[in-house]
Amino acid sequence: MITPASTMKWLIKRELWEHKGGFFWAPIVVGAILTLFVILSLAAVVLGTSGAAQINGVPIEAFAAGMTDSDKLVFVSTITRWYMGASTPLFLLLGFVVFFFCLNALFDERKDRSILFWKSLPVTDDATVISKALLAMVVAPAITLVIAIVTSMLVLLLICVAMTIKGVSLSGYILTSPATYLAPLQWVALLPIYALWALPTAGWLLMVGAWARTKPFLWAVGVPLLAGVLVSWLDKLFQFGWDLRWFWKNIVGRGLLSVVPGSWFNAGAMAIKNRDFGDHNEAEMLSQSWQLLGTANLWLGVIVGAAMIYAAIRIRRWKDDG
Amino acid sequence: MNTIVASATNVVSARGLTKRYGKSVAVDNISFEIPTGRIIGLIGPNGSGKTTTLKAMLGLIPFEGELKVLGLDPRTQRDELMAQVSFIADVAVLPRWIRVCEAIDFVAGVHPKFDRIKAERYLTKTKLKPAMKVKEMSKGMIVQLHLALVMAIDAKLLVLDEPTLGLDILYRKQFYQNLLEDYFDEQKTIIVTTHQIEEIEHILSDLMFIRDGKITLSATMDEIGERFIEVMVPAEHADAARALKPLDERQVFGKSVMLFDCANNEVTREQIDALGETRSPGIADLFVATMKGTYA
Repeated sequence: MITPASTMKWLIKRELWEHKGGFFWAPIVVGAILTLFVILSLAAVVLGTSGAAQINGVPIEAFAAGMTDSDKLVFVSTITRWYMGASTPLFLLLGFVVFFFCLNALFDERKDRSILFWKSLPVTDDATVISKALLAMVVAPAITLVIAIVTSMLVLLLICVAMTIKGVSLSGYILTSPATYLAPLQWVALLPIYALWALPTAGWLLMVGAWARTKPFLWAVGVPLLAGVLVSWLDKLFQFGWDLRWFWKNIVGRGLLSVVPGSWFNAGAMAIKNRDFGDHNEAEMLSQSWQLLGTANLWLGVIVGAAMIYAAIRIRRWKDDG
Repeated sequence: MNTIVASATNVVSARGLTKRYGKSVAVDNISFEIPTGRIIGLIGPNGSGKTTTLKAMLGLIPFEGELKVLGLDPRTQRDELMAQVSFIADVAVLPRWIRVCEAIDFVAGVHPKFDRIKAERYLTKTKLKPAMKVKEMSKGMIVQLHLALVMAIDAKLLVLDEPTLGLDILYRKQFYQNLLEDYFDEQKTIIVTTHQIEEIEHILSDLMFIRDGKITLSATMDEIGERFIEVMVPAEHADAARALKPLDERQVFGKSVMLFDCANNEVTREQIDALGETRSPGIADLFVATMKGTYA
């Protein structure tokens, strides 16, 4: 039985076949490199080849021995809260991959004319474009998240092993702390925020890719940048006193960079502005992110993004490339 | 096909179909009917409007006028239409990254009328292997894969736009042979455009010539056999023959070969038979004769 849901499943599968390099292998390779990096660093500490490992000028063994119980507690709670941060490079990579995927998703099929094959099948333009958007905003982040969780857990485990070898007996605390297992869930809970926040950029890139005859990157990046420059120049020329920072941040930046995970922390609407996360717990990060749901910034982006995805569908339906 | 009868058995019916690109008219107010169970050759020079006409039928471009394909308007009902129509729009449009097995899985996953067994059976007759990617294939193999997918779809209408362009003669022959033997039946209709007219002449049931966006000839192959006559005229009858206004004249071994159209009632079969040895013209000769001056 072929249903809209089964067709969607096949469309997403098809995207994964085509893009498994970017969405699957790239994060695995980066995750492996991260892990290797940690192994080598820890090996150097354990073997003492990089000189005596020190914390604040105190050799690590002495430092560990001198820890009070409350010191240990702070140490354990910090590491269990923030070890997921070890996977930050994976999320930056995700931003890159999603950006270029959205830009090329509706462009490459026109360039190699394979759109004529896809359009010969009973699959609507709506379903096709939506499958690409779903892949970029839901499936790809989920894959990255799984790889990030595995990588971070591996890194944490390696740190525990290294500490045990060095006689620092904190591994038990870390591995039995509920926070250790809660942290990945809290990152999973950020997925919906990512999908909604990324929508305007994904929509913009899909639309430009569906429309541009050549050089989609130039159009996609050039148009917002030129608009920013033009507005800034007009403001300077006629002394309008416009809030240029607002324009660059909420139009140019939001339009181009919203696919970068966590870019919402930099949004003006947020209560936290570039705070040092070390002082705060991840629950705060989570609740701050979810508070975005109460902001016009997020929902205006969703509306604009959805409108641009609709435009991309219409363009794909009727564009005649000869 | 000359008799325009709007009936339910028509696969395609066009009335005043027009497509403009800016100021130039690609398809100029054409009307035609294509009944079920035919193999129609849509033949015309480059830029005559063949591909544009097909694109209109497949709902790929907007157009003016009235056009129904299987009773559906391709502009507004394309989604329903595509469940019953399949097409090969151009050679080598399969995505380069896809594997044979992925292509089959995908089409099987989304197409209600796809017969996986049939596609696989056809592929076993080729050198294609399931794990092979399109980018590793020759042009001929890509077309084999595309044909395997399309033939396994039980579509009412199959549209082929230059499906064998750039293939060698072995692949071309095999392509049309497979189509005829394993695909075509009286419930199906095939519309094909090609420049290799000689090769498809024997499989066509109908012919449509298109030039400058207009249909210049639309007839069944039987009608064409009755209507057009080629006659080998000895030199002594040449002037008498020219007085009967042949469509075309060329010289072969010192004799004139003249092509007559008996449809305009200015000339009868008997008159032509009297001129010399007659035969039915090839489609290619007919095409060249009727398209004279196209690029002048």
